[in-house]
Amino acid sequence: MSIMAYNGGAVVAMKGKDCVAIAADRRFGVQLQTIGFDAERIFRVSDSLFVGIPGLATDTQTVHERLRFRTNMYELRENRKVTPKVLSSMVSNFLYEHRFGPYFVEPVVAGLDPKTHVPYLCAFDLIGCPNEPEDFVVSGTCEEQLYGMCESLWKPDLSPEDLFETISQALVNACDRDAISGWGAKVYIIEKDKVTVKSVRTRMD
Amino acid sequence: MASASERYSFSLTTFSPSGKLVQIEYALAAVASGAPTIGIKATNGVVLASEKKHKSLLYDGTSVWKIESINPYIGMCYSGMGPDYRLLVKTARKAAQSYELMYGERIPTVQLVQRVASVMQEYTQSGGVRPFGVSLLICGWDDDKPYLLQCDPSGAYFPWKATAMGKNFISGKTFLEKRYKDDIELEDAIHTAILALKESFEGQMTPENIELGIVTKDGFRRLNVGEVKDYLANVL
Amino acid sequence: MECLIGIRFKDYVLLAADRIDARSIVVMKHDEEKFVSLSDNLLMAVTGEAGDTAQFSEYIAKNVQLYKMRNDYELSPTAAAHFTRRNLAEYLRSRSPYQCNLLLAGYDKGTNTSHLFYMDYLATLVELPYCAHGYGGYFTLSTMDAYYKEDLTPEEGLALLKKCIAEISKRLIVNLPTFQVKIVDKDGIRNFGENDGIVEARKLANSS
Repeated sequence: MSIMAYNGGAVVAMKGKDCVAIAADRRFGVQLQTIGFDAERIFRVSDSLFVGIPGLATDTQTVHERLRFRTNMYELRENRKVTPKVLSSMVSNFLYEHRFGPYFVEPVVAGLDPKTHVPYLCAFDLIGCPNEPEDFVVSGTCEEQLYGMCESLWKPDLSPEDLFETISQALVNACDRDAISGWGAKVYIIEKDKVTVKSVRTRMD
Repeated sequence: MASASERYSFSLTTFSPSGKLVQIEYALAAVASGAPTIGIKATNGVVLASEKKHKSLLYDGTSVWKIESINPYIGMCYSGMGPDYRLLVKTARKAAQSYELMYGERIPTVQLVQRVASVMQEYTQSGGVRPFGVSLLICGWDDDKPYLLQCDPSGAYFPWKATAMGKNFISGKTFLEKRYKDDIELEDAIHTAILALKESFEGQMTPENIELGIVTKDGFRRLNVGEVKDYLANVL
Repeated sequence: MECLIGIRFKDYVLLAADRIDARSIVVMKHDEEKFVSLSDNLLMAVTGEAGDTAQFSEYIAKNVQLYKMRNDYELSPTAAAHFTRRNLAEYLRSRSPYQCNLLLAGYDKGTNTSHLFYMDYLATLVELPYCAHGYGGYFTLSTMDAYYKEDLTPEEGLALLKKCIAEISKRLIVNLPTFQVKIVDKDGIRNFGENDGIVEARKLANSS
């Protein structure tokens, strides 16, 4: 069994009109045994910038801590916030620094540019290859199911409300067809001057 | 038992009883006897100007330069020792590139100055080295704003509207204090910079024995001999 | 083969560990102590590779005590858990990783809250109301799902823990004859229950 699927979990992010959404399930498990129901895989980096880190749970925690170290140092050194593009660059470099002993995570960066408020999405593989599509990114153990859901539900220029509905449906239905992700979900809708966090119920088994 | 090299690798920059670091003062003396350099920040750009005196008639003044670009939007010049300067240019260029590699965007001028300054500071506290015998003038353009900073051998750095370094820098600064206006434009600043150099210039100023560099919203570049000639013709 | 169980209640935490020390198919010892006290209100239970468990838990315990001597105040359970994780995570990617699974139970006197942390040999740290390491987890989590309530009294909590131990004894093929039970609360760490906290698993299974 793949080490990427040892703990289970999935993250999806989507662009809307002047907004982005990022969502993740909440299961923490060890192989097929579910241990916790309140796992956090999405972390806030600044006001309108988030990173989701699905993969091996210990590396989710380590990568989050090490990225936090780097973003904090950046903000102190440069006296300004990290932008989504800068964060992407940092994540990519950080992962590639461990090219021959990688962290087993495939992060997703989602946010709005602090100045222009342009939506931004980026996903990475475990050694930091960035992927910046115009619509949505998926990552984690039910990646394939998420692609199917996003491919059929996503439309351009969704409003924040419609975006929430779309991303929730995509995640919930993808997780339901994956034994090692689910147990509820957390959805972040990121708009110019507000971030809405919502809990979504899925099949609890 | 410490080896011979270990025994001597203590810092030579030590405090004098009166609390001064004389090595750094000597380094500043080396700068103050170096060729004059002028920097002026205008509303739409920055100009760097420097004297490049030739020791011999046979000297070819058109193939080595004192003004160097660090990246497309940052330029640098110096007063003091040329070899030391080139090491700092190399460090600065590497710092700019590694920043761009890490964050995917251009290094802000102030960040570059801080990094170069921290290298200069290291050389005042490490064993087996001496401080740099140069002061740097670094100009740059980021986020719709011009920047002009000076960086000393001690690692101290200063943001300027206009300044002079090297030989006769005190009279150079006095001249600039009289001439500087907050709404000065680049063309005007270039003229003022040439005039400031002329204040202490011995002999005839030619396009070969001075250098000019400008940064605007379009980036940094060193002016070519033809352009310098035109400016000189206008000023003189 | 080994088994650790932890349950966190409103103002105390119960930890149970089997007492078997086995090398391959041979049981070497029947009264192995798998607990290490990190401080007055912080208890760690460890299983895993034989030498690693002792080495790592002692290293953490001594460092937690050193912190207290240096600073005149203690690490909170949360801080101690993070410290433990950081260390295990750094060893994980070194040439000599420690292979131990552990539970950390603590009572935070600053905030008057009880904490239970689950950490596996990969240094995955999770705070949970109840959890188990080893094969015991397959037989006990469902029992705890069904009967756990945050405000059970220590006696009711112990009864729940015994239900779990009975289940392991009855259904798991591995022979784990006795368990040690400890409680962590505002008064410190103690063996808990009759017979100095030692639970005879087989007897429990027969009577359930």
